[in-house]
Amino acid sequence: MSFILDGMTQAFGLLMDGNPETWSAVYATVAVTTMSVAASVILGAPLGFLLGYCSFPGKRALRMLADTLLSFPTVVIGLIVYALLSSRGPLGGAGLLFTLPGVAIGQTLLGLPMVIALTANAVEYADTRLRDTLLTLGASGGQVLRAMLWEVRYHLLLAAVAAYGRIVSEVGISMMVGGNIKWHTRTITTAIALETGKGEFAMGIALGVVLMVIAFLVNLSLSGLKRRAVIR
Amino acid sequence: MNPADHDTAPLYSLRNVTQQYTGNDGARHTALDIAGLDIAQGEILGVAGANGSGKSTLMRLLAFLEPPASGSLFFDGSDACAAGTTVRRQVTLLTQEPYLLHRSVAANIAYGLRARGEDASHSRLAEALQRVRLDPDDFLRRPWFRLSGGEAQRVALAARLVLRPRVLLLDEPTASLDEDSSAAVRHAVLTERRERGTTLVIVSHDHGWLRDVTDRIIRISKGRME
Repeated sequence: MSFILDGMTQAFGLLMDGNPETWSAVYATVAVTTMSVAASVILGAPLGFLLGYCSFPGKRALRMLADTLLSFPTVVIGLIVYALLSSRGPLGGAGLLFTLPGVAIGQTLLGLPMVIALTANAVEYADTRLRDTLLTLGASGGQVLRAMLWEVRYHLLLAAVAAYGRIVSEVGISMMVGGNIKWHTRTITTAIALETGKGEFAMGIALGVVLMVIAFLVNLSLSGLKRRAVIR
Repeated sequence: MNPADHDTAPLYSLRNVTQQYTGNDGARHTALDIAGLDIAQGEILGVAGANGSGKSTLMRLLAFLEPPASGSLFFDGSDACAAGTTVRRQVTLLTQEPYLLHRSVAANIAYGLRARGEDASHSRLAEALQRVRLDPDDFLRRPWFRLSGGEAQRVALAARLVLRPRVLLLDEPTASLDEDSSAAVRHAVLTERRERGTTLVIVSHDHGWLRDVTDRIIRISKGRME
């Protein structure tokens, strides 16, 4: 038990001293997660709207696919993206393997189904009078899309938070696509796995604390945004 | 006033229009079957009938919210079965329980103007609120959830009046309102008609009001005009 307490004490020391290795992993995590969540929301929100709003053949199958992908194992996504980005893969020429943008591509695939499924659900179960109101006020097709996404903005925020939570805590994609390269693609989760394996509990705990603080700050800022959005 | 007193070419012209919905049993049910109906520009048409008779279905067709299952629907001389945004923007519909966007009162009233790329100045929004007898200083900044049912209905009406529509469709607009709100809605609607010659189609169970204000009343029963 004492090694855990010792680890926590040392962890705060590492954080307070501004340990460069710790902060490098923090930077990589925040950068890559922000890129992935932004891409997931930008791509997933319109796709989720189409899936929830429009009727077309194969819609149910697509909904089932999006729901199934919610539990897609991260190592499988890592494997697929690795295969795509490796020198023998179709995107090998882009030189994205073992880079943060490469990791972001994999993590976007992780967050995308979550944003699509939650947005589709929110749009599908939105008040049935909303569409009629927008049309009768003269909204065009594109304006209906934007207004409906704005009306379900709390659900979108929830989807973004849920995607952030899943992405920031994943290991498989970061490890396989990023390669866990020190000062370069080492994220908090891959660093925790590595440091714990080496018996460096202090570093592992320090990074775990940072991970939890990041999750807390994201939730705090989003709940602030929600409060402001209510009265706009 | 008779329809003949208005412009000779009807604004709306419906011929053999039907509308069908799929019921819970999976079968198609005919909700509306109108052999012929003309509505003149500037006319005030009353629509009466029991609940479920097809009045709201008729209003949805007139608002171009859905195309008819069969028949022809002409608006201003053009086929409007698949009306585009330009045609739809000439008509607006207010229902018994309108939906307010989850924004401020000002944003709700400004929405339609902004969708059209028109000026949504404070003075224009304030004037729309005054038309429904709500104080702009008190209401413009209020969020949608701080409105009573009657206030919400009046804000929804203001959001439509500000658009200066050619046709205002009112589907039981005062059914769930208290006396004051009801009077404000009726006054605003008739003022709009008087000042701008707006065509009004009013669905109401208040036969006395319909008799007082409309040029003629049609009665719908089981989807058909009597």
